[in-house]
Amino acid sequence: MNGLLVSLRKNLALWIIMGVLLALLIMAIRGMPTKDWVITLLRSFSAGAVIFLVASGFSLIFGLLDVLNLAHGTLFMIGAYLGWTVFVRPDTFVDLLPLGALLGSGFMLGPVWESLSLASRLPERLRRILPWMGLAAAVAILLYVLPHYPITAWDLDRYDASPVTYAYLADQGLFVPPEPEKFEGMAPALGLATVVFASLLATLSLTSLTQPILAAEVRPKMRWQPLAAFAAIVAVGLLIFAFNDALTNFLLGLNTTWLFFIAMLVASLTGFGLGALMESTLIRPLYSRPIYQLMLTLGLSAMGIELVRAVWGRPEFTMPKPALFSGSGDGCPATTLAGWLEHQCSTLLILDGRVRVYNEIFIPLVGILVLLAVWILLKRSRLGMIIRAGVQDRQMVEALGINVKRVFTLVFGLGVGLAALGGVLAGPSTGLGSAMGDTVLLNALIALAIGGLTSYPGAAIGSLMVGLLQQFIIKYGAIGIPIPFTDIVFKPTPPLVPASTVLLMVIILLVMPNGLLGKKE
Amino acid sequence: MSNLLEIQDIHTFIGQYHILQGVSVEVPAGTITALLGRNGAGKTTTLKSVLGLTPPRQGRVVFNGRDLRGLRSYEIAALGIGFVPEHRAIFRALSVEENLKIAERRKGDLQKRQEMIFSLFPDLERLIRLSGGNLSGGQQQMLAVARALVPENHLLLIDEPTEGLAPVIIESMMKAILHLSADTTVVLVEQNFLVASQLAEHYVIIEEGMSVKQGKMADLVNDPDTIRRYLGAA
Repeated sequence: MNGLLVSLRKNLALWIIMGVLLALLIMAIRGMPTKDWVITLLRSFSAGAVIFLVASGFSLIFGLLDVLNLAHGTLFMIGAYLGWTVFVRPDTFVDLLPLGALLGSGFMLGPVWESLSLASRLPERLRRILPWMGLAAAVAILLYVLPHYPITAWDLDRYDASPVTYAYLADQGLFVPPEPEKFEGMAPALGLATVVFASLLATLSLTSLTQPILAAEVRPKMRWQPLAAFAAIVAVGLLIFAFNDALTNFLLGLNTTWLFFIAMLVASLTGFGLGALMESTLIRPLYSRPIYQLMLTLGLSAMGIELVRAVWGRPEFTMPKPALFSGSGDGCPATTLAGWLEHQCSTLLILDGRVRVYNEIFIPLVGILVLLAVWILLKRSRLGMIIRAGVQDRQMVEALGINVKRVFTLVFGLGVGLAALGGVLAGPSTGLGSAMGDTVLLNALIALAIGGLTSYPGAAIGSLMVGLLQQFIIKYGAIGIPIPFTDIVFKPTPPLVPASTVLLMVIILLVMPNGLLGKKE
Repeated sequence: MSNLLEIQDIHTFIGQYHILQGVSVEVPAGTITALLGRNGAGKTTTLKSVLGLTPPRQGRVVFNGRDLRGLRSYEIAALGIGFVPEHRAIFRALSVEENLKIAERRKGDLQKRQEMIFSLFPDLERLIRLSGGNLSGGQQQMLAVARALVPENHLLLIDEPTEGLAPVIIESMMKAILHLSADTTVVLVEQNFLVASQLAEHYVIIEEGMSVKQGKMADLVNDPDTIRRYLGAA
């Protein structure tokens, strides 16, 4: 009780703001029939969860690394498109797997490359030029090999083979995989070996580029683990290549609920890898130059959008809902959870409101699970301890004997992985389009400004507030707000939705310049 | 007697500023060596250069017979060098226990040494669950020293341990440093000459980024001219 009073006095502004907002929320709820506010609340949680997945990663990265990753929204979008590919075109996914494994295999040898590049006694000038030549050669080799590499994919030029069509076919359960491609004009063994070679060349060059040039006598010990990891990943790639058809048929035969979970997993892991790669190659040289980081991430964001347009096309399409959430007909909409499980309905009746199970229950659930998982990671694990300490003082963490650089890479990967997971989640509810990343990033930034830029609970509260405000305004746009003492019914128009969140942010920042839970600088 | 740490004519730049312009220090094993000098002379930068936090551009640092050039800070620290930074840089968002735990290099480091740590700083045991930000200045300084004692360190770099502390706490801090110097070599940056002269056996005076004088503390105490010239006070 006493503690509560102290906290009340200390954070008076915070409690007043929360009180006012809660009162507003209650007023907003009371102005609606029951079934409307139940749905609106659930939709707010759904929107908030997606925003949170982007905002939390963004804030982790900014808190620890001081990097404002403006490409975060784009990575969210890429996650969505990757998830879509796994879910709708498992055959394409299986074709891409070995390619990804072989291309990534070189990264496993990072420590070996490091000791090699340190040990090199080449003249200074050669040491500067060689990595670039190596990189160019690797790109040239890949440009030659990749057109021969067999990837069964969609065709943007033919409507009947476009992503839009495949999304529709998958939704109807009519998808039949096209005839798989084969290596053309090139022996498969040669093709695969060339890809591995290009990967080795590229990673060696990248390591030499990003490593500071150090004295030759300081040579790290060679270890066998990187070699084993390299061999393992190449072996996995080759195995998948050999048993391509079997794996494809297995995935096609799976219940789409499982396939959806695989899509979530693949997108998160790929996001993690992309983030780690981005940090260790592009961001790392720019730690002392914040403006360049901004320009870099902004540029990457634009490149990512164009890349998505080039690969998946400009038209927007949706991702079908997994089987668990798409049933209709007999027994639907379900009235109880048991009934829902039995018929796997897409909708559920709660207090007279028809709730879409995927959008309004599954997404918030995943959001809460991620919230808790990351919270436990931050509070209970050694990595979390290092992250929380590093947010305050990186140098001191390093001085304790901890490799902060590796933690940076991990955290960047984690943040991007969360965003990619959010993208997959959003796919079936809001659809896929090349603008989806920008919208969510803007919302996430507003949520973080409201909650406090580097505060993890702040990210959650801010995201929830943005979600609530947007969804209630959308709903009131449909039913209208009667203005007291007049006959006028005010209906908020769609442009008011983003404007209202910005307004909320401005008001909160005027009262609490560091956001609700932000620390004073 | 062999030297545990040898700093050989290092030059360190911070940005474009040439901060250290030739610092050489010899630290015999098992002693306390005090770095003396005015504000901004480069004492803190010398400590940070040893740890590679501000890597020297010229010269070299040899620890335990090993050249530290090219090693990253975390690798240098892992060789057995503990650092107590100035301004009580503990982790405010972490609890006292976590502040100690994060310094573990091997699992169980804290458990092995917590008895020793808590006998030096009994306050910390009582406050173990509190977050670092809620400690008083003196308690934070104790925590910062305690943190450096958690892993097995051969050398402790302690920067301004008594800065801004009440006299009673300064005294217990001095006792703690004397106690731990029994089995660890210490390099101490200390503005308070009275404190430094009671603790250290050797001294090095740093002036405008250069080491200008070093020797036995006992000789310096009896040399008021040098004290007045470089330290400004007797």
